[in-house]
Amino acid sequence: MSIYKHSYRAYMGTLTPHWSRIVVLARYALAEAWSSKITIALFTFSMLPAIVYLVGIYLANNPLASALILRGNKTGLSIDAAYFLKMLEGQSWLALAITAWIAPRLITFDLADNALPILLSHPISRFGYVFGKFLALIASLSLVTWIPCLLLFAYQAYSSPQPWTWDHLSIAGGLLTGSLIWIALLSILGLALSSWVKWRVVATGIIFAAVFVPAGVGGIVSAVMRTKWGLLLNLPVMMTEIWQRLLGAPSVMRPRQDLPNQAMATMLVLACLVSVAMLNARVRAREVVRG
Amino acid sequence: MNERSDRIIFEEVSKFYGEVLGVNRISFNVPPGVTTLVGPNGSGKTTLMNLLTGLVQPSSGRISVLGLSPSNPAEFFPLVGYCTQFDSFPAGICGYEFVLDSLMLHGMSVADAYSLTAEALDRVQLGDAAGRKIAGYSKGMRQKVRLAQAIAHHPKVLVLDEPLNGLDPMARAESLALFEELGRQGMHLLISSHILDEVDRISDRVILITGGYLVAEGNIQHVRREVRDKPMQVLVRCDHPEMLAAKMFAVNHCVEARLHADGKGVFLRTGDIDQFYTLLNEIAKDGLVKIEAVAPSDDDANAIYQYLIGSDGSAS
Repeated sequence: MSIYKHSYRAYMGTLTPHWSRIVVLARYALAEAWSSKITIALFTFSMLPAIVYLVGIYLANNPLASALILRGNKTGLSIDAAYFLKMLEGQSWLALAITAWIAPRLITFDLADNALPILLSHPISRFGYVFGKFLALIASLSLVTWIPCLLLFAYQAYSSPQPWTWDHLSIAGGLLTGSLIWIALLSILGLALSSWVKWRVVATGIIFAAVFVPAGVGGIVSAVMRTKWGLLLNLPVMMTEIWQRLLGAPSVMRPRQDLPNQAMATMLVLACLVSVAMLNARVRAREVVRG
Repeated sequence: MNERSDRIIFEEVSKFYGEVLGVNRISFNVPPGVTTLVGPNGSGKTTLMNLLTGLVQPSSGRISVLGLSPSNPAEFFPLVGYCTQFDSFPAGICGYEFVLDSLMLHGMSVADAYSLTAEALDRVQLGDAAGRKIAGYSKGMRQKVRLAQAIAHHPKVLVLDEPLNGLDPMARAESLALFEELGRQGMHLLISSHILDEVDRISDRVILITGGYLVAEGNIQHVRREVRDKPMQVLVRCDHPEMLAAKMFAVNHCVEARLHADGKGVFLRTGDIDQFYTLLNEIAKDGLVKIEAVAPSDDDANAIYQYLIGSDGSAS
């Protein structure tokens, strides 16, 4: 029998915390998401409304410019909760477009290329893998939602007389909370739907469909059954109501059409749970089934 | 964690994909060294490797790798390196980044990750190509960078799924030398490969699998001896092969003799290898035939594969 010198030693150095490894995955995902020119074009386009709202704040706070351009008519330029609600709504729907483009890039490629066996052969769990992608998507969507909204809020706070800031601080909280709810929902929904579709373009379409088809169904339910509960399937309406309440803006709903907070929260949690179940079923190392 | 365990243990492990059998009631106990996993396409080799690395969960049975359960990746993967057969990499990444990012995922500090990346790329001899995008790599270079990724974090167990596919003869020889060296140093290597002749040279033991069932497991020579219904073949190099063949045929256990193409040796097939060697000793002692060399010619993985599984991949 051969006598072998067992000199092999495993790595004994210090290891970084587990959470930092998820950041590596998020960095991968961000690089993947932003390597596309379409992502950059969408991001650039989504900044245009923010610039328009910036100009609005400038005009509202600059008497000279306002007099020159608006000729004293300031009725449409009241910088309040309704103004920021409109901005948040616009940015949020642009975030949906960005999600529909980015989410499939983050997860469909890995599943289609069988990359999961390599990635999951590391000290990271399936949860860690999904969370890394989730963080990348949240970071990307933050750039078009709460970050520009809060920057404009800060600019308004800087431009206006001091009492405005303290009187309207709830708007900033609403912008942040409302944005985070929306982008968290979009991220998990986008990843879940992408994980079930092999073709990226189809996944993009399905993400849009997942938002607007139930809205149509909810509208039909409401009309046929003469009930307001069909609105719970209407994500655009439901989110607008949530943002309106968070920012403290005037209600946009018709009388007796407003939805209870608990019902809306339940629907959002349910959508998240379904998405988690879809991810759990789909995100696993490819199992090679013998033919 | 069982600190003293140095074994890979499968106990009655089965995996079913719905109604489709992956592997059925597989049991083995493997010490450190090089183990070759042999079986036809679709026999369950990749399923076995995925089970070993925890990428799929067994339907029943227990798996222990160095005393650890594969179900906890945080504890498990620092000790295990897996080189999959899938040709997939993150888009737009170069070989160096691929290995470096893998080490970061393993939790290495940036300084350690850089030095270990350089070491691993050096070991697989990827050279200057490490700085190029993987998308532009040849199949062999992709295989090398995958191997570098698997060994970079200094695992104790290395699982290699078809690691020689796509490599040219020189690269295959280099990879085999690396596997042999790692095996000698006390590392576990579990290799699946169709290139049996080459893997056979460095293997300490073999696991034969077909149709999801374990056919044989253990030291290659021992497994060969257990295949009693297939007489063993021995090549004897001598000055009078015809005379040796005639002598051998005088005994019952010798069932076939075939002259070597160069006329300086004879292939003899015997049903009782111990008696065969005793008789050969006597012939050599009598001086009737001058024997230059004696070597078994069918106790390699290839022969065992042919005998136990058959050329069509079905167990015989």
